Amino acid sequence: MKLVGKYIDKRNGSGHVTLRPEDDEDIWHLYNLIQQDDLVKAPAVRRVQNVSATGSTESHRVKLNLKIQVSKVEYSSSGGAQSSSSDQANQGSSSTPSMQSTAVLHISGKVVSENQYVRLGAFHTLDIEVNRDIRVEKSEGWDSIALARVEESCIPGRGAEVGAVVCGEGSAAFCLLSQHLTLVTHRISTSIPRKASAPGSSQYEKAMTKFYSMVYDAFVRHIPFGNPSLRAIVFASPGWVRESVYTWMTNEASRRGDKLLARSLREKTVKVHVSSPHVHSLIEVLKSPEIVAQLKETKFAREGIVLDKFFKMLASDEMRAWYGPDHVCLAADRGAIGTLLISDELFRCDVASILANDRY
Amino acid sequence: MSPITSPVKSVRRPGGVVQTPRRTGEGTPSRRSSGGADQKIFDIAALNLTSKEDIVRIEEPPPKVALERGKLLEEAKRVLEGAGKDGKKSVSLVVIGHVDAGKSTLMGRLLYELGHVDEKTRVLNERGSSKVGKSSFSWAWGLDETTEERERGITMDIALQSLTTSNRQITILDAPGHKDFIPNMISGASQADCALLVVDAATGEFEAGFDRGGQTREHILLVRSLGVSQVIVAVNKLDQVNWAESRYKEICRLLKAFLSQSGFQSPKIGFVPVAAMLGVNLVDRSSIEGSALTKWYKGPTLVDLLDKLEPPVRDIESPLRIPISNVFKAQGSGTGVSGRVCGGVVQVGERVRVLPGDETAVVRSIEVDENNVPWAAAGSNATLYLVAIDPIYLAVGSILCPPGNLVPLATAFSARIIVFDIQVPITVGTSIELFHHSRDVPATLSKLVATIDRASGSVVKKNPRVLSRGTSAEVEITLRGGTLSTPSVTGRPIPLEPFSVNKDMGRILVRRGGETIAAGIVLNVIV
Repeated sequence: MKLVGKYIDKRNGSGHVTLRPEDDEDIWHLYNLIQQDDLVKAPAVRRVQNVSATGSTESHRVKLNLKIQVSKVEYSSSGGAQSSSSDQANQGSSSTPSMQSTAVLHISGKVVSENQYVRLGAFHTLDIEVNRDIRVEKSEGWDSIALARVEESCIPGRGAEVGAVVCGEGSAAFCLLSQHLTLVTHRISTSIPRKASAPGSSQYEKAMTKFYSMVYDAFVRHIPFGNPSLRAIVFASPGWVRESVYTWMTNEASRRGDKLLARSLREKTVKVHVSSPHVHSLIEVLKSPEIVAQLKETKFAREGIVLDKFFKMLASDEMRAWYGPDHVCLAADRGAIGTLLISDELFRCDVASILANDRY
Repeated sequence: MSPITSPVKSVRRPGGVVQTPRRTGEGTPSRRSSGGADQKIFDIAALNLTSKEDIVRIEEPPPKVALERGKLLEEAKRVLEGAGKDGKKSVSLVVIGHVDAGKSTLMGRLLYELGHVDEKTRVLNERGSSKVGKSSFSWAWGLDETTEERERGITMDIALQSLTTSNRQITILDAPGHKDFIPNMISGASQADCALLVVDAATGEFEAGFDRGGQTREHILLVRSLGVSQVIVAVNKLDQVNWAESRYKEICRLLKAFLSQSGFQSPKIGFVPVAAMLGVNLVDRSSIEGSALTKWYKGPTLVDLLDKLEPPVRDIESPLRIPISNVFKAQGSGTGVSGRVCGGVVQVGERVRVLPGDETAVVRSIEVDENNVPWAAAGSNATLYLVAIDPIYLAVGSILCPPGNLVPLATAFSARIIVFDIQVPITVGTSIELFHHSRDVPATLSKLVATIDRASGSVVKKNPRVLSRGTSAEVEITLRGGTLSTPSVTGRPIPLEPFSVNKDMGRILVRRGGETIAAGIVLNVIV
């Protein structure tokens, strides 16, 4: 993310920040930054309908800068933004697939600045994509948490980039992990005949071979293995699928003469055991000692440690955990809070922000 | 070309069982030149498929439904009561136990002793295994067929075999013991009536399996939760402890306590000392190696116990349910699927619906225990060869049911669960893996409704905050979409039925991080 402009009043924290998101992670930061009732100004395309004197209607699309008061923010990781990836495509060499940006943020709310085409109070949904400037004004002033997030998101070259393949027999999920965001870029799911098949086991092996080559193709397409910012490539699976996939990949890379891939695999690969082939076992990946060493400083790792501690405490003494705003307020009044955990979901809605920001 | 095999929807027959009279041929109206056939060419062209498969299909006359449903039910009942051709009742048996307890070896030896493995195969396996320096695995090779399993010397997937004793026809499901393959083991255990628990008597080995985190313990809980009520415990490798009676007694005592605590009734638990490698006390113990055992053991052999297994009551009146546990390409045309018939009866020629999905298929032939049969009833582990369907619509975990009586699809449902011995308690929003027959899907515990007193069934506490070990509770479970970034997206629905409607279809298991944390039954489907 690029910080384009910033004006914040020191006394009451009011002011605005102009940001330019550059990749999916930045969109995610914006999603977490923008809260209800904030004022957001961004370029938009709106269809305007004119009724002429004779009663015929014509409609055309106009490009505008709209300022809206946010009523809802929605994040979708698989939007349709194809165009935005073009500038990034030049960065890597030809054999290096660039990370395609697909995330879109939908911000809807009432228009608060009048202009030629749109009436005051009309509703509009802004689609925020990468490389579009966005100006955010906080309704209740900028607090320390929001400012920290802006700062954090604008550090260039941050992020421990990890490409991960979580696989099982016949299923694979390709993920890109950055400091704040996990992106599932691709998924493979094929049916593998089990060994109990009547005519013997050859069908199983044939299907597995086909599966491996699918994984190879998808890997080349979806994991930017040649990118120097990608620190590790993780193969995770229950059983021994990860070994077979890795062996297949290295053999195939040398067979096809893809030296870059062969080298990246050799230098960056980490194989991790997980208990299930589902995407959520990435959590186990992130907890595994091999990865913790690589990603110690990331936010996920830090939060994971806190959450682990919480669950251990919960197991030993249930009465030390309290939930809900009422109970938390009560506990806070009595000075009994050691650690306050707030879920992202809750943090976004304004009740929590009042609770969290004003009281603590 | 008859209407049955045509994929055109307009000619699909309504209702569950097609009551076609037994005569065939001239009675079937020919539609080869009618609009139906033309339509089909269009369909194929649009899908860009080669018509190769279809040509084969045309050559084959569509199978006919031989019996009316009423008559079929009568016949099925008669056979199940033991009045079948050979008077043998059939049961299915899952072989469970900790990794390296000798499950596959025991089964391999047993199959050989009962004459289901010929001498040639045995010699072949023996040579093959000693060639790669793993001669101790020679018996297991009879069941561990894939190269990877043989290389690693470990069972990875369920092996299906059948054997006959004097009074029983037994389908054997040899489960993997390694903890990474528990999903496969669950798939096998959900197809079984009884369990054969194999434990390793060697010093330290039994303890490793029986201690916390060992698979002996987990497997017992799993099979019990999946509705298995009879268990035979084979105390294996007794030769390695010099046939010590004290060791056998000690293991029996420990296991008996745990089994009855897990809900097995003591008359339904059987114990037998064996040595699988030497083949002692499988069929008999007259060999020289068995002399040490005969000094103190006078009880039944393994086969004697197997012969006394009682099949549970089969639910053949209910609508057909077959959860698919394997899909493979059949020889010739069509697709083979195997699975256990969980309710009702199925016969050759019937049209079945595949759920989830909008497709139907026609049953071309049915195989039970490697024999071709005209029909299969609840409780049998059948392989069905289906035609008139593209294999891509058949997936492991799908369910076959009659087109007129569908299984409800669920993305959220309420369930009553029993929490196992876990370290970290369950909170709302816990990410879990939900197991239902051969399917496992990511899910979330979306709501903890109430904790329940296990004995009386009354509500102890509403809206509990956490579920700790040993509690029984009512919860709501929501399936999750695959991505981490958008947690709110719900997953694709899976076919589920409340326990009250069909017992086999209403059992679920809940796992988290490679550990089974709870088992339960479906109360009702919410969405």
